[in-house]
This record gives sequence, C-alpha cells and structure tokens, in this order.
Amino acid sequence: MAGEGDSEPGKSFKLLGFLDVQNVPCARESVLYGSLGSLVMGLGHFLATSRVRRSCDVAVGGFICTMLGYWFYCRYNLAQQRIRQRMLKEGMKNRVLFEGSYLDPEKEQTGSERGDS
Amino acid sequence: MANHSQLGFQDASSPIMEELIQFHDHALMVALAICSLVLYLLTLMLTEKLSSSTVDAQEIELVWTILPAMVLITLALPSLRILYMMDEINEPDLTLKAIGHQWYWTYEYTDFKDLTFDSYMIPTADLPLGHFRLLEVDHRVIVPTGSTVRVIVTADDVLHSWAVPSLGVKTDAIPGRLNQTSFFATRPGVYYGQCSEICGANHSFMPIVVESAPLPNFEHWSSSLSS
Repeated sequence: MAGEGDSEPGKSFKLLGFLDVQNVPCARESVLYGSLGSLVMGLGHFLATSRVRRSCDVAVGGFICTMLGYWFYCRYNLAQQRIRQRMLKEGMKNRVLFEGSYLDPEKEQTGSERGDS
Repeated sequence: MANHSQLGFQDASSPIMEELIQFHDHALMVALAICSLVLYLLTLMLTEKLSSSTVDAQEIELVWTILPAMVLITLALPSLRILYMMDEINEPDLTLKAIGHQWYWTYEYTDFKDLTFDSYMIPTADLPLGHFRLLEVDHRVIVPTGSTVRVIVTADDVLHSWAVPSLGVKTDAIPGRLNQTSFFATRPGVYYGQCSEICGANHSFMPIVVESAPLPNFEHWSSSLSS
C-alpha cells in the first residue's frame, strides 16, 4: 500500500515545495552536484574577472546546467539498470520454468558443444 | 490506496504506472530548473534600474526562442514514448467489461460463462472494523497477477470514469461507446480507485476495487462464481 516502507511524511524534504529530493531517484545527487557546480563556476568566474554581477549569472547558469546534466546522465543509467533487472528477472523465471526440458537453453548449448567435439 | 493528506502518486503496481512516475519526476526536475531561472531573473529585475535605451535585442530573442523549444522537446519525447507504450497491441489474457451506472459498477467476464456481478460501495454503517471508508465494495474485481487484462469501459446512463491510480488506468465510461484500456498487475494486492467523472449525487460513493491474485486463486474464484 502506498506509504508502507517509505520514509515518514515528516522526513520528506520538498525543494521549492514540490520536488521530493529524498524519494525521487537521482534528485538529491543532481541538486547537490548542481550546487557544487554553481559554486565552482561562480567563484571561478569571479576570481578570474572580479565582476560580481556576471559571476552570479554564471553561477545560476552553472547550477541549472550541472543539475540537468547530471540528472540526464543518472536517469539514463537508471533506465539501463531497470532494463537489465527486467531481463534478469525474466531470465530467472524462464530458467526455473524450462530447466531440464527441451526448451532449456543450457541443454541446447551442451548439446551443440558435444556435436562440435 | 492513498494515505490521508498524501499529495504524491500511490506506489506503482503496473509497468505503465512506473513509467508515468518516472516521467513525472523528470518533468518536476525540468520545472525546478525553470523555476530557479525565473526566480533569479525576478530578483535581478527587482534590483535593476529601468532603461528605455534598448533598440536591438537579437541575442536575447534567439535565446528565448531556442531555450523553450529545447525544454519542450525534453518533455515531449518521453511523454510521447509513454503515450505510444500505452497503446501497444499486447494480446490480453483476459477481457473485462466495466459498465458504469448511477451509482455502482457492473463487471462482466465474458471469457467465462455467466460471470457477471454488480459492485456497490459498502456503506459506512455496515463497514467492518479496519476497512476503508468509502472505498470498500461488496464484490471486488479479481484479476490474475502477471497477466495482461483488457478492460472495456462503458456506461448505462450518464458519464462515469473507471480509474485505478496505482495501475495507471483512467478511462471514461460514455453511454453508447466502448472505450478500451489495458493493464498488467505486476504483483498481488488490492488496488482502490474511485469514479472520476461527475455523475450525480453519489458520484463519490461508487468506488472501484481491483484485487490481483495468483492465477490458481483467480481460477478457483472464477469457477466458484460461474458455477
């Protein structure tokens, strides 16, 4: 049922009131890396140019770009992992179902190895 | 079912709902980025002196055309992917008809002989202790776990809507029209929904309960009812 096993409602933290960074995969890391990127780029620009206003612009731009960049990277990896998990689950199910039968892929492989030798 | 004061989605019980939740998270992240930018620009504007000396703004016009187009593409591609995924031809194992009435649902399992029943909400006065108010019904829809179920939704009188949030299903029930949807329950459980189209005085009191059970249990139930 919804809510069972999840963190208590009091413990979820919603950024700007809507993004639950604790429970959404990749969200926390995206925001943290975004903040780090923003700090590095803004500070670096200021140290290089001593222009406060432009450095703030670079910092905000850096935050958005780093956050979204890491988000896409992390979600892509997560999607690949989910596909692999699904394939593994299907494979385990098929192995249990077909083990020992004529449809067992391991049996076919053993048979072909014997044929080659 | 949803807990009290729950704002987010219920846990997904079908692959489509899992995809919808993933897309929702993606959309919220894009919304966060846009909100951050807008908040920053607002702050800048509040601290800026107004100027009327701007005559040419080619660069900014280019930026505020291309950037929104890229944002829309970022949102549209996964959205269309899920839309087409929902419409895939998937050879259902079971067909179920859901007919909306004022104010109850009728379910017909036409794959079986004489398996039809009405599903009324259990009134609060008759509700056993520990059961869910305004959500429990006298006869649940039982479906086998891990099987694709096709649902054909229609109505007998006025508009209704057959919705089960944790399965990612919401289909309008329109008199004289058959609407089709399908779902795949990935795990056993009981999933609650409510009528989602205003249909009269008791619109809030015609819930939907789908119980996903292992295939032997489903077969036992269907044979006991149809006999």
